[in-house]
Amino acid sequence: MGKCLVSNNIRKLRFYNDEMTQKELADKVGVTRQTIVAIEKAKYSPSLELAFRIALVFDSPLEEIFSYDPKDDPG
Amino acid sequence: MSFQEKNISVTLVSFSLILVFYTIRVFQMVTNGGLNSTDLFRLWGITIVFSIIVTIIGMILTHIVSAIVIAIQTGDEDPDIEDIKDERDEIIDLKGTKITYTITSIGSFFAMLTFVLGQSPLVMFALLVFFGLVAQVAGDITRLYIYRRGF
Repeated sequence: MGKCLVSNNIRKLRFYNDEMTQKELADKVGVTRQTIVAIEKAKYSPSLELAFRIALVFDSPLEEIFSYDPKDDPG
Repeated sequence: MSFQEKNISVTLVSFSLILVFYTIRVFQMVTNGGLNSTDLFRLWGITIVFSIIVTIIGMILTHIVSAIVIAIQTGDEDPDIEDIKDERDEIIDLKGTKITYTITSIGSFFAMLTFVLGQSPLVMFALLVFFGLVAQVAGDITRLYIYRRGF
């Protein structure tokens, strides 16, 4: 538990998209604001479907938003 | 604290109080000359009915209090409460339920073991409800812990 291995730059992308609020992003992708907060803090790895929905909102490829560092993977 | 966390907190407090009430009543029965089926099954009924009522009232109260707090904070007359369950809430709920089922299973085993070891069937029934309440409380604690820590 704790920090997940998938990091993201949603906060930065929100800022570059007219300073979109967490609530606005949450409404666009169909989750609660708390889930967006958890994803931004890397406390939750979103499902593939949610990740794609976030990518669609920012009109960016998935790997530009999310990244995975296998060096941190204990398994 | 999200709406789901508030809801779980209310359920946790309610079930903890019911657990304390149940444990004290069973101890009183044991010290006042042993368990008898009429009193124990009445206590069973009270506990289960209270659990259902308290859960429903708790949910309604959480909704009302959340709406009032958000209305005061935002000044909005029709506040938007995030009471939907998204994928993260569902996963956390499942993890909590897993703990609840595990403790219920272990508790049921121990309850039946007392019967096998020669105790009265009433001891087994008293322990079944006790472990059911403990499992509910443990599940809620797990949910709150995962909400706080992340996964």
